Amino acid sequence: MDVIELDRVTKQFGKAVVAVDNLSLSVPKGSVYGFIGPNGSGKTTTLRMIMNILYPDTGVIRVFGAPQVGACMDRIGYMPEERGLYKRMKVRELLRFYGELKGGRRVNQAVDEWLRKLDLSDWGHKKLETLSKGMSQKVQFIATVVTRPDIVILDEPFSGLDPVNAEVLKDAVLELQDQGTTVIFSTHDMNVAERMCDFIFMIHRGKKVLDGTLNAIQDQYGCDTIRIRTEQGASALQNLEGVDKVNDYGQVQELHMAPACDAQAVLATIMSRTAVRRFDLVRPSLHDIFVRIAGPEAREVNHDA
Amino acid sequence: MMRKSLKLACREYKATVKSKGFIIGLILAPIFMGGSLIAFALLKDRVDTRDKNVVIVDRSGVIAPVLLTAAQTRNAEELHDTKGKKIKPAYVFTITAPEAEDPGAQRFELSERVRQGAIHAFVEIGEHVVHPGENPDTSRITYHAKNAAMDEVRSWMGWPINNELRRLRVTEAGIDESKVRDLFHWANVEGMGLVSRDVQTGRIRSAKRSSEIEALIIPIITMMLMFMMVMMNVPGMLHSVMEEKTQRIAEVLLGSIKPFDFMMGKLFSGVAVALTISAVYLSGIVFVVHRMAYEQYIPFHVLPWFLVFMFLAVVMMGAGAMALGATCNEAKDAQSLTLPTIMPAMICMFVYIPVAKEPLSSFATVMSLIPPFTPFLMVLRQTTPEAIPPWQPVVGLIGVVAFTLLVVWFAGRIFRVAILMQGMPPKLSNIVRWALRG
Repeated sequence: MDVIELDRVTKQFGKAVVAVDNLSLSVPKGSVYGFIGPNGSGKTTTLRMIMNILYPDTGVIRVFGAPQVGACMDRIGYMPEERGLYKRMKVRELLRFYGELKGGRRVNQAVDEWLRKLDLSDWGHKKLETLSKGMSQKVQFIATVVTRPDIVILDEPFSGLDPVNAEVLKDAVLELQDQGTTVIFSTHDMNVAERMCDFIFMIHRGKKVLDGTLNAIQDQYGCDTIRIRTEQGASALQNLEGVDKVNDYGQVQELHMAPACDAQAVLATIMSRTAVRRFDLVRPSLHDIFVRIAGPEAREVNHDA
Repeated sequence: MMRKSLKLACREYKATVKSKGFIIGLILAPIFMGGSLIAFALLKDRVDTRDKNVVIVDRSGVIAPVLLTAAQTRNAEELHDTKGKKIKPAYVFTITAPEAEDPGAQRFELSERVRQGAIHAFVEIGEHVVHPGENPDTSRITYHAKNAAMDEVRSWMGWPINNELRRLRVTEAGIDESKVRDLFHWANVEGMGLVSRDVQTGRIRSAKRSSEIEALIIPIITMMLMFMMVMMNVPGMLHSVMEEKTQRIAEVLLGSIKPFDFMMGKLFSGVAVALTISAVYLSGIVFVVHRMAYEQYIPFHVLPWFLVFMFLAVVMMGAGAMALGATCNEAKDAQSLTLPTIMPAMICMFVYIPVAKEPLSSFATVMSLIPPFTPFLMVLRQTTPEAIPPWQPVVGLIGVVAFTLLVVWFAGRIFRVAILMQGMPPKLSNIVRWALRG
């Protein structure tokens, strides 16, 4: 069952900016759905439309099968990209307020539980203005989930978090999923999307360019990437026949092969130049796919077209 | 969804009334509003007690000695309080012979002495002061000082001079002044209210004396109170919305509450704060007035109207303020939009004197029936001693209710669009477009 359906949704700001263009999307119940896309591509606008904060110009959005999200607003938790908290309120007081505003009753127990889970118990009586950015972000997350909504929408939940806190938040998200919550989040961290999401959706210039499981997306591109480590590094990988592009990551390089390129021939050429320490023929990473779609070269191609 | 608005209002209300700023504002607002009166009351006895040396150039030759005598009497009787402390300056007059050949040079020389601080002022009395002829220059009394218009010596000397002139003229006419005292009795025209009949006993009730307190001061205090309620709340609502927008709190809340309910929650809170403030001030005023035994001046019959109109004024202007606050992207925008927000109250402040003086004039009637001004001017008119037609407050109320609903509806449309709109300046064209299209 799909808990969220977008059917040919378009949203335009002014006459010039089409933020979301004829977008259709279905989010299955209990899944973790990752929204990726460059800045300004329409992710936040899409999330705001799902939340009924913005209204689409055309198209229909159904949440829990109903066309109006207003009635079921309390069943959706929403954490915007920009964190907004009353800085002069105390943590526990604020969470109780947000919980009760969301229709929650007797939220005190849930507040205490979440504070403990996210290691914030000692900060419950402190004012928000005394908390660090990471702590504030965790408080914002608790405010989003404290009433145990059926859908949780998180706009950039991991941005600005240190690895420890990111890990804590990741565990919390996965725990929600285990309990049957549908989680949608946007992110610029491709590793997080690859590791956490059941489905990945990419929007670029308002249009859907990717939608599906990671495997399905990668299958579209096939094994066209060589991940290699050599004695001489990137300097030995110049002007290889059949290689479109070399991405140098320092210790490792990635080669994008042109269609019909023979990987064995490429390997033989490289071995004639330097010693090869590692050679993998892999499918492109999500990061790689993202860059191919939204990177400067893609923009040039699109511009030329 | 009203539950969410009330929840939000409750939080806002508590956050406001618990803040130190609110408590301080509650105390300071009336001080600022009535600051000049309080300062006057506190400082009225703090006068310069240094002697005032005044030179008299008396061309008539009959007035100067009288002034000297009057000043000596005053200095002997009024300079000290009961504990012997000097509380007023002594007036020390010196007579100088008038310069006949070059009076201009004499005036200049005396002016120079005033400038140097050697004397406080000089007074020149015209030769024909007792019998002014056709040439007014020869009968004038001129007083020269650095600030002659506000000079208390000048004000004081009018009485002894005119007394002496009257005495001289009566004596010259061969009349015994003691026999014609009534000639100089000044008859006052007393201001009285209207006579009424007691409905139960049928007896005629005497008219009450009409005072300036009833005619002007009570209406003005009522109007100022209304103005204060608006000024203490409405600009705050604008800034509060702007802050919640720029701090991204608004978007978080919009995940839980519809924009209109969000706006209404803040509006309810503003109204509750205004009612709290008015309860404090009204209780304070009634208490003080009661202690001073002036309760007959309190227009208790207008109090319900005052509260209803104040409620509507705060809702009407608060809704407008929040719509405009939602269009702001930074504090500078909010500052520039504060004035348009409170403009109805400001316009009422510009016209309240003619309305209070002539509450039944066409101008007052029309102005008080224009909905944005009605809460202020109708209450002002109702508190004057004039009986305004009873239909007017009712029509005014209906107009304000209808207009307030309209403002809230349009404000809701602007608020919904603008609260998430970043980077778009609050231009009039945008605001009108959002109001019309939503």
